[in-house]
Amino acid sequence: MHYEIVKKDLFTRKVATLMALMAIGAFAFLARFAFGLGATTNLSDNYPWGLWIVFDLVWIALAGGAFVTAGIVYVFMAEDFHPLARPAVWMGLLSYSFVMVTLLADLGLPWHFWQLGVQRPEHSAMYEVSWCIALYVTVLGLEFAPTVFERFGWDKLRDLWRDLSPIYTVLALAFFVFLMSHQIWMAGLALVVFAVVAFLTRDSFKRIGVPVILIVAAVTFSTMHQSSLGSLFLLMPDKLSHLWWSPIMSLLFFLSAVVSGIALVMLMDLMVSYFFDRPFHWAMLGKMGQVLAGALGVYYTLRIADVIIRGEIGLAFSGRDGAQFLIEIIAGGIIPLVLLSTQKLRGNKSLLALSAVLALGGVIFNRLNVVLLGMNLPGTLPGGSVSTYYPSMIEWAIVISLIAALFFFFGLGVKLLPILPKAEESR
Amino acid sequence: MSLATLIDTTRCIGCRACQVACKAAHDLPAEKTGFFAKEGGYQNPPALSAKNLCVVTFNELEANDGEVKWIFAKRQCMHCNEPACVSACPVTALHKTPEGPVTYDSKKCMGCRYCVWACPFGVPTADWDSLAPKIHKCTLCHERITATVTPQELNGKLQTKEEQNSFTESQHLPACVKACPSGALKFGERDQLLAQARERIKASPGKYVSHIYGEKEAGGTAHLYLASVPFEKLGFRMDLGERSYPYYSKIALEAVSPAVMGLGGLLTAVYLLKQRKDKVSASEEQGNKE
Repeated sequence: MHYEIVKKDLFTRKVATLMALMAIGAFAFLARFAFGLGATTNLSDNYPWGLWIVFDLVWIALAGGAFVTAGIVYVFMAEDFHPLARPAVWMGLLSYSFVMVTLLADLGLPWHFWQLGVQRPEHSAMYEVSWCIALYVTVLGLEFAPTVFERFGWDKLRDLWRDLSPIYTVLALAFFVFLMSHQIWMAGLALVVFAVVAFLTRDSFKRIGVPVILIVAAVTFSTMHQSSLGSLFLLMPDKLSHLWWSPIMSLLFFLSAVVSGIALVMLMDLMVSYFFDRPFHWAMLGKMGQVLAGALGVYYTLRIADVIIRGEIGLAFSGRDGAQFLIEIIAGGIIPLVLLSTQKLRGNKSLLALSAVLALGGVIFNRLNVVLLGMNLPGTLPGGSVSTYYPSMIEWAIVISLIAALFFFFGLGVKLLPILPKAEESR
Repeated sequence: MSLATLIDTTRCIGCRACQVACKAAHDLPAEKTGFFAKEGGYQNPPALSAKNLCVVTFNELEANDGEVKWIFAKRQCMHCNEPACVSACPVTALHKTPEGPVTYDSKKCMGCRYCVWACPFGVPTADWDSLAPKIHKCTLCHERITATVTPQELNGKLQTKEEQNSFTESQHLPACVKACPSGALKFGERDQLLAQARERIKASPGKYVSHIYGEKEAGGTAHLYLASVPFEKLGFRMDLGERSYPYYSKIALEAVSPAVMGLGGLLTAVYLLKQRKDKVSASEEQGNKE
């Protein structure tokens, strides 16, 4: 696989628009810290989490595209999808970084974040997610590093990366197991397991151009934090409608992140081709559509079976919650599954794109339902009526500016670094 | 040892001395409120907030004998045996002490507000007006009930061992219990209080409904309630179940460590198998060419 730098103007009218949005967001960010959460957001004791948490959950689910692509390309060795690998990792690295910026705004006392490093809570999903994402970002950084080395011809650094990144990865995984289990022997076991993995796959760099243990770590860390984002809501069986709350929410969150990850990577590839005037990869996207159909099939089968087995399906046919559930299942699952079911339908370009949009929308709507729409809040003690929450202008401004920042930095990256595959090779 | 408070709503006269004592003990600022300002009528303030860790609810209800009565219920953190908030907290700022109270340490708190979201009783609150919004909730006056300061001398008079003990007993109480003039609040060992509550119900069955709220709710709590009317009429949540809230998330999080190793091994196996298959097919191709 050979890569190239996109030869386009760094500064265009579109780029200027993105920068203007980012500037507005920067002011909103400053305002949030100057005036405080209460004054700048519509969050309250009744709605302690709002748009920003929805946004984080959605964005992390979409950024699942980075680990799904890396896994498919390097572990399952599906060479067809190789052109997607680098842009997916770049998108993932940016997404996770910006999620952290949102968290910075959302936390009431962000300057105490270092407490995560010194406290040892026993069963906190928030602790799991925080550490897992932090370690995953370092792995994403290592996955992306060779792109930078290639650009500047830093061969010595690349050799160092090749030799040391597997060691770092083994240590990071064992450390994570220690933090989660509080057991030295568990961490020791993990150290042995992953040292064996590193040894058995020691020639992977020669074969696929990346130490495969990096990819193993990326998929493992992603699986863990994607599922633990679901575990966050296991504590709320009394508030979240049982159309969404389930003892297996963790698994459902992971499987839906695979769906949204694949769909996002498909749309990312379409947008890259469109915005940078590059060849469209319809044949490859058709095959990706097949993978998406598989992921949709697994996720929605389990999702629907779970609601039926728990005996909660009756809820689907009453009230606003029921309507939201049906929209999520039908528009996000069944319709795209039908659209992707045959070779012929997948050959239709607009239907293929539409099914990716619907699959993505279904997962986005799922996260929105879980955090806000499906929640039945009792209110602060002694309880009572809870007024509806609408995000404030500041909350919107930060979210919109970070989406703009994603587009801005993604574009900047492909114009400065060899991220996209050579046009003639990928045609 | 697990300390708890028994709240007998049939003895509460709605004087709100507990609210006042709570505010004084925690040095909390005033909040602008008013009678009939919100639903609840005389209930004031209407709900818990960062400035109110305890609120007496005013309920005008028809009692068993058909008479309309005021029934008051002091509400605050329930101090669950296995609290959702403690399991939620990523930095152990919320902590279930061995003595029973659930305490909060603002020096550890990041302000993620997961505790506010997770609590089934709607107890933790944040001070939204602040630039550094901390969490506020009742701590069962943990610092008071565990304080060991017993003066040798009081008002210039040397204290006997007995006097010292009685001083300690009178001081090692939550501020609200100390202030209660009607005996509605009783502080002590949870097991003993439960036994007393059962005795009270048994002694006057017409006076109480046969339900000790907090004995089993959400896995059991350190605030136990007695009442003359079913608890839902006093605005207590009846849909919480008897399982502790961290039950499911505990299972999910204990699975993380084994899952990391299992998944890592599985992915490696897939990679190695695929590599072997590729090698075999490559050598077969080679063989065919020869």
